[in-house]
Amino acid sequence: MSAQSENNKSQLHNNISCDALTYEIDGKNILNKISLETTVNRLGVVGRNGSGKSTFVRLLTGLIAPSSGKISINGIDLHKDRKSALREVGILFQNADHQIIFPTVIEEIEFGLKQLGHTKTQANAHALATLELFKKPHWKEAYCAQLSQGQKHLLCLMSIVAMAPKIIILDEPFAGLDIPTKMQLNKYLALYEGSIIHITHDPKDIEDYDTTVWIDEGAIKSLGETKEILPDYLHHMNRLGQSDDITELSR
Amino acid sequence: MISLSSPVKTKAHGWPAGAKLAGLCILSILLIAITSPLIHALFFSVVLFLYLLAGRIFFVSGIKKLFILWPFILIVSLWHLYNGQTAQGITIVLRLLSAVALANLVTMTTKLSDMIDVIHRLAKPLTFIGLKTQALEISIALVIRLTPELIAKGTALSQAWRARSPKRPNWKVVIPFIVVTLDDADHSAEALRARGGIQPTHKE
Amino acid sequence: MERNLTHIALFAALIAALGLIPRIELSFGIPITAQSLGIMLAGTILGAKRGALAVLLFLLLVAIGLPFLAGGRGGLGVFAGPTVGFLLGFPIAAFIIGLIVEKTRIGPIALTATLASIIGGIVVLYIVGIAGLAVKLDKSFADSAKLMYIFIPGDIIKAIIAGIITAAIAKARPASLLSKQ
Repeated sequence: MSAQSENNKSQLHNNISCDALTYEIDGKNILNKISLETTVNRLGVVGRNGSGKSTFVRLLTGLIAPSSGKISINGIDLHKDRKSALREVGILFQNADHQIIFPTVIEEIEFGLKQLGHTKTQANAHALATLELFKKPHWKEAYCAQLSQGQKHLLCLMSIVAMAPKIIILDEPFAGLDIPTKMQLNKYLALYEGSIIHITHDPKDIEDYDTTVWIDEGAIKSLGETKEILPDYLHHMNRLGQSDDITELSR
Repeated sequence: MISLSSPVKTKAHGWPAGAKLAGLCILSILLIAITSPLIHALFFSVVLFLYLLAGRIFFVSGIKKLFILWPFILIVSLWHLYNGQTAQGITIVLRLLSAVALANLVTMTTKLSDMIDVIHRLAKPLTFIGLKTQALEISIALVIRLTPELIAKGTALSQAWRARSPKRPNWKVVIPFIVVTLDDADHSAEALRARGGIQPTHKE
Repeated sequence: MERNLTHIALFAALIAALGLIPRIELSFGIPITAQSLGIMLAGTILGAKRGALAVLLFLLLVAIGLPFLAGGRGGLGVFAGPTVGFLLGFPIAAFIIGLIVEKTRIGPIALTATLASIIGGIVVLYIVGIAGLAVKLDKSFADSAKLMYIFIPGDIIKAIIAGIITAAIAKARPASLLSKQ
């Protein structure tokens, strides 16, 4: 099912295609034969802890290869074609500390740009411009280890925005942040002009997104307009909240 | 990460790091060749004078760094006092002091970034035998970035231990510490892949 | 490729961190610096090549001025000091420990890792270390060796601990025990 919103900037619509996508670890199916075809501008992905959301985004980003089946973005297999992958998607991890590789802010932003083939000088200029865009030029020489949790997330966001991928995937990056920090980061996120895929278990994060996909136990429970999916999802989650399935161990 | 480069800025901070390192090599070889205790005494005095040129704070912190040598100096001194070869003993002790003091001097007057530049320059010819300069560059950055994080995690694990035990943490705390480290390595590998990974050819 | 690199880098950081976190205790209440334990574990967990590279990376960062040696020491001075032989012996020790663990296909991993740590982390390391001491202090090898005897019991305990920890990691993270892949 496709999701055409009122948004008429058609270049922002990126195509995602999955065909019998399966991912297994030690014979256990984390994702089971997912097939979907959609174009997105703002896509929300909801589901419980352990539903397979994170595996789904890793496949989407091309970080891991499917056990069987196919997945592509705009027709490109991102696991095979890593060079194109950088132009298609960027990912913001849940834990900023898992993402930051370099000791200083400027090096962290420059890294992705050099990976895109920019020379050292170009990368430096572009990184400085990105810091300017986010009004953080004074962060240049700051040590990443000394940044606050929210600041680290902002650095990760700047590093990805600098690379200007067509889609940014957010893998619950705001979980555990306080409300003001979250609001501020959302404001900074608005500086990015491409498509966004936001993985979350908090419906509030994606209220105004056009499309939502709900993943449950490694399969797609539903896909459609956010305003239709979310009430259903919330209802289901609240009902589970009354139960005691925390008792069950996974097989 | 704080490096051992001195916060007291000296003229030598501006000199090229490669030249300082080359000079250190030559002087260290020279130290081995010298056998006269008198010349060694003179040499060590000159080294101390170099420290003094940078001011009192620099001098004191430089001398403090030599204190770790005391057990060795004590043993060598006692040995040579006992067997009577005092001149030889003085030579050994002074040679050791000068060598360490000179090497420390280079470390104290060279910025970390300058040292890393030297490594990049030295590594470049090695690309012919298959060394990936980009991999080396990323490795160095990763260690500098993640050591403080690991220290924080190790300290947190020790505290979690003490919160539930009257005794000091024992070696068992190393196990979760290593598990954390191995998981971090997997996360960093993923983050690296997400932004293009190690590339076979790299433009400088 | 990325995974090799990050494991090498993270282990270099681990060796540094083990020397800098608050001291941990051996079973008899003796505080130890766990840094040499880190060298042994680099070999038993990462294997010969990656283990040695992790230790070399660690030493490289010490050399360029980071205070990564136990007690916050570092810089070029430590390579001019009498214990330089032990520093140079570290990567060799990690390599030999890793090689033994990789090549041994029989017996429990804890025992293999302990014996490997004794051979590489004590016998080989001490030979190289004492040779360095002999040169720096201008003494015979035998005389220099006498200075090191008191450290042997502690290091044997560390080797046993390295064996137990390696076995624990083999259980907790079998996929990360690169020496056995």
